[in-house]
Amino acid sequence: MSSFELLVNGFGTALSWKGLLYCFIGCLWGTVVGVLPGLGPLAGMTLLLPLTFGLDPTTGIIMLTGIFYGAMYGGSTTSILVRIPGEAASVVTCIDGHEMAKQGRAGPALMIAAVGSFIGGTVSILGLIFIAPPLAKLMIQIGPSVEVVLILFALVVIALVSAGSRIKTASMISLGLLLGTVGMDKLTGFPRFTFGSLGLSDGLSFAALAIGLFGISEILLNLEKTQTIKAIVPKFRDLIPRGKDLREAFPAIGRGSLIGCIFGIIPGVSHIVSTFVSYAVEKKLSRHPEEFGKGAIAGVAGPETANNAVTGTAMIPLLALGIPSIPATAILLSALTIHGVQPGPLLLTDNPQVFWGLIASMYIGNVILLILNLPMVGLFVNLLRIPYVWLVPAILVISVVGVYSVDFNAFDIWVMAFAGFVGYFLRKFGFEMAPLLLALVLGDRLEENFRLALTMSNGNYATFVDNASLIVLFGSIGLLLSVQGIAWAFGYRKAFADQAEGA
Amino acid sequence: MSMSDELAPMQDKVTWPRAICTRHCELACAVALGAIALFFIIYASNFAWGSVALPGPGFFPLLLGIALLFCSLWIGAETWRTAATGDCHELGHRDVLIVMGALFLVAPAFERLGAYLTLGLFAFVLLVLVARKNVFVAAASSAVGMAAVWYFFQILLGLQLPKGLLLG
Repeated sequence: MSSFELLVNGFGTALSWKGLLYCFIGCLWGTVVGVLPGLGPLAGMTLLLPLTFGLDPTTGIIMLTGIFYGAMYGGSTTSILVRIPGEAASVVTCIDGHEMAKQGRAGPALMIAAVGSFIGGTVSILGLIFIAPPLAKLMIQIGPSVEVVLILFALVVIALVSAGSRIKTASMISLGLLLGTVGMDKLTGFPRFTFGSLGLSDGLSFAALAIGLFGISEILLNLEKTQTIKAIVPKFRDLIPRGKDLREAFPAIGRGSLIGCIFGIIPGVSHIVSTFVSYAVEKKLSRHPEEFGKGAIAGVAGPETANNAVTGTAMIPLLALGIPSIPATAILLSALTIHGVQPGPLLLTDNPQVFWGLIASMYIGNVILLILNLPMVGLFVNLLRIPYVWLVPAILVISVVGVYSVDFNAFDIWVMAFAGFVGYFLRKFGFEMAPLLLALVLGDRLEENFRLALTMSNGNYATFVDNASLIVLFGSIGLLLSVQGIAWAFGYRKAFADQAEGA
Repeated sequence: MSMSDELAPMQDKVTWPRAICTRHCELACAVALGAIALFFIIYASNFAWGSVALPGPGFFPLLLGIALLFCSLWIGAETWRTAATGDCHELGHRDVLIVMGALFLVAPAFERLGAYLTLGLFAFVLLVLVARKNVFVAAASSAVGMAAVWYFFQILLGLQLPKGLLLG
């Protein structure tokens, strides 16, 4: 069957009443968690992860992915209207988006952000369609040694692109890999760090750790803050942008799409970094850079497009290689694994309906979000009026039930509570959770393939450098290190950090 | 004795949340990470390491434990060398302590008391102590919430949550 026929079949799945319903639920919940400060896409996805257990894998993954890109849409609304980024990728939008709102141009800012998000999302899905299948075909022939280098490559890149201290990121990666060793050793069946507990023999529950480290810690951090919300809500008729706005926004949308698509493939915090890069590029290329920070529409269009363009291409490493590049795709990996679907090169041959159904649903989801976000902007902003302390018990109850229902094991509630406690302190002291979570997901595969490769080669370490694809990977590592070096030399990193602080 | 003299000892009392120097917090983190690393190293030393050519189940945890220990020492040394800037972290926020305490109590009670009773009590405590709602409002909200949880998870999704001693 050709790719086109498979895509048509995928549309059949996504356009079924079940596909549409769960895509809508995912997009709606994604927008809500994107709007509410302190509930980003990760917390939103982990909280609804248990709800997918009763669904078939395709529908479940459609809903979770809807939350991911829905949150990107929702995040821009609060950035523009309230100057509170609903999630980290919307921080840059606060700078010019809220300035536009203060000048009475909130409508055009929201419209351009939504249109840019739609275009960015659509371009990135095209990237996913064209890159993932051939990459998966290529990767089907790889052995464990290539997989080891691929995972190492991903971990090195995560360490490089993380915003915080490198050594803190490295410590989180080490900790994540260490936690991944808890449980039965897959090659020998030897129990490690289980202390005789059956609850630990399968390792630490990923859902419990993810909800604890991201969801619970986020709630605890937000309980310390008191925010007064003062929103500027535009009327529907004020959404139409002027001709000048469109002329300035569309080139920025084009560049944002490209930047987002490229950054989506890079492991780490690509959806956040891409927005800062896009903002810096727009400011550099603008004929009026002095307008940036005072309500430049390109400063909204570029970053908002970029953070949505990441969503499609971020799926490439997950779907084609089975390697999550950002925490959101790590949760998707976990969901697929729970449903008995192994993401990676064989996904396209073994479960094509999951892959193509997901792609088709992303198209549909982008349309749903465009329709949902513009007319209902006032409703979403009103969500901010719900006192946060009312939401806390509801979120925690869903988290506890969700974590328990993965394995029906009360021990996982302990794990979640403890992970939340540790995550709260670590985040407070500047440690990032994303590298820990990604390392945790990748850890056991790294070890398994490393030992398998050595066993297959009779302990010959040359097995890690005797393949053409390995040379390509090492070349890619070199290229990324060079890009990082150049960015560092030009002071982008400091500029991004300053802009983030300013926002 | 003046009024201000009487109040002086009160002002010396510990107030929550407490401001703790960032430097001390980072040093504490480094020590905690070092302790975790040492725990894994010591425990992994009891496993079969295998050889460098053919690693056993203890090889990876040992290697990663050493890596984490190295990172913690680095963080500790870096923080030690940095002069105190006067930046502080506030620790011990009342609401955070309540939520954490309540969450840690949910874990042991969940199967013993049953999911609905445990979660109902949990929601009630949070609504009274964190959201500062009237006891009756909190009780009614918790009951409605539990009914919603039962309907959604048990009826719609078919998840069997533990009923516990009281309802079982």
